[in-house]
Amino acid sequence: MNLRNHSKRWVLSAALAIPALASIPAAHAQTATASAKVHTKPAASETLPPPMKTFGVKSAPITMEVFSDYQCPACRAFFQGTLRPMINDYVASGKVYLVHRDFPLPMHPYSLDAARWANAAARIGRFESVDAALFDSQTSWTKDGSMEKYVEAALGAADFKRVQKLVQGCLTQTVAVKPAAQTTHSCELDPFIEQDRNLGNQVPVQSTPTIVITYKGQRYPPMSGIFTWPIMKQYLDSLLSQ
Amino acid sequence: MPSDTNSKIGKSLLIVGRLALAVIFLAASYAKLKPQAPVPWSMGSMRVSLSMFAMQVDSYQLLPPSLVSPAAHFLPPFELFLGLWLLSGILLRGSALITSLLLAVFFGVMVRSYFLGLEINCGCFGPGERLGPMTLLRDGSLLALALAVTIGAFLIHRRSAVAGATEATSLV
Repeated sequence: MNLRNHSKRWVLSAALAIPALASIPAAHAQTATASAKVHTKPAASETLPPPMKTFGVKSAPITMEVFSDYQCPACRAFFQGTLRPMINDYVASGKVYLVHRDFPLPMHPYSLDAARWANAAARIGRFESVDAALFDSQTSWTKDGSMEKYVEAALGAADFKRVQKLVQGCLTQTVAVKPAAQTTHSCELDPFIEQDRNLGNQVPVQSTPTIVITYKGQRYPPMSGIFTWPIMKQYLDSLLSQ
Repeated sequence: MPSDTNSKIGKSLLIVGRLALAVIFLAASYAKLKPQAPVPWSMGSMRVSLSMFAMQVDSYQLLPPSLVSPAAHFLPPFELFLGLWLLSGILLRGSALITSLLLAVFFGVMVRSYFLGLEINCGCFGPGERLGPMTLLRDGSLLALALAVTIGAFLIHRRSAVAGATEATSLV
């Protein structure tokens, strides 16, 4: 009789334990799911790569980094008069790999928003179009920061909606650029801009546009100002002939 | 005698001023011609350096592209020549006058660019130096020194000529 009662007790304990043991993985999965829910970013951000703000092939012998501000008139002139012909010629032929670096200046109230639009477009592989649109339409949007319509015209409706989602909650238009130490990255795009700015401070970039050229692993001194394409071409040719 | 002492002081100051200008011009020439990256000296590296200097001249937005390159390729070797000429002390009035004229042109261009708001590199001693109040002050001081040397050279030459004429008259 005692043995039977003992057995019954074991069976009862097992009957209670098995469901309890079975629930542990489920609970863990729920916790993981809950954790995942807490830490997982929205699906769109997960699948998007960092912004690629480059032109040409990385294997080009010359790498040119351009530190630029979308609201800077000299940057616009430099883009239109020098970078554009260079992109069509030396970048297209694989001689130069051009890297755009954002360096929004504090005195330009809309330059950070412009950089955010450009970075958002870069995340969906449409940097080139928005980069050109922002510079080409600069004189129009620089007065009031109304650059959205130019970005939309450059991207088309479908891509503009994707980019618009990425800049949602980012745009300020009235808030001045905060110093790096005080910036809170509530906008997903800001860390990429901050990264460029930190690189610029290491150069150091003192004005825009500033170019930094690397050739055969050697970095040449930074140069600031507007350079005409024929003169820049001579400089690039002198490097390539070494 | 006091006038002899003043004359000696004047000549000494003239030598110091001349040598200072010579060193500055030699340094300026060297800074523009030397390799701008850690590469050995070569014709190729000098071509790159001169092309970089051409970009800096271009950034002043003063000359058309067709003149930028010749100006940029002429200036550093000319600075080298001027530095050696000043160092030699030969025909000091000539070398000092040309130095003053050149510095006056540089200073005028820099002042113009600064007040136009051009955010550029000076290009005075190679790349990387921003055009600003300090560079204007420095180059303005160099211009003042060059003018002082020029005036001093002409004055001393005149005094020597007068002294020579007086001596010739007294012998007669």
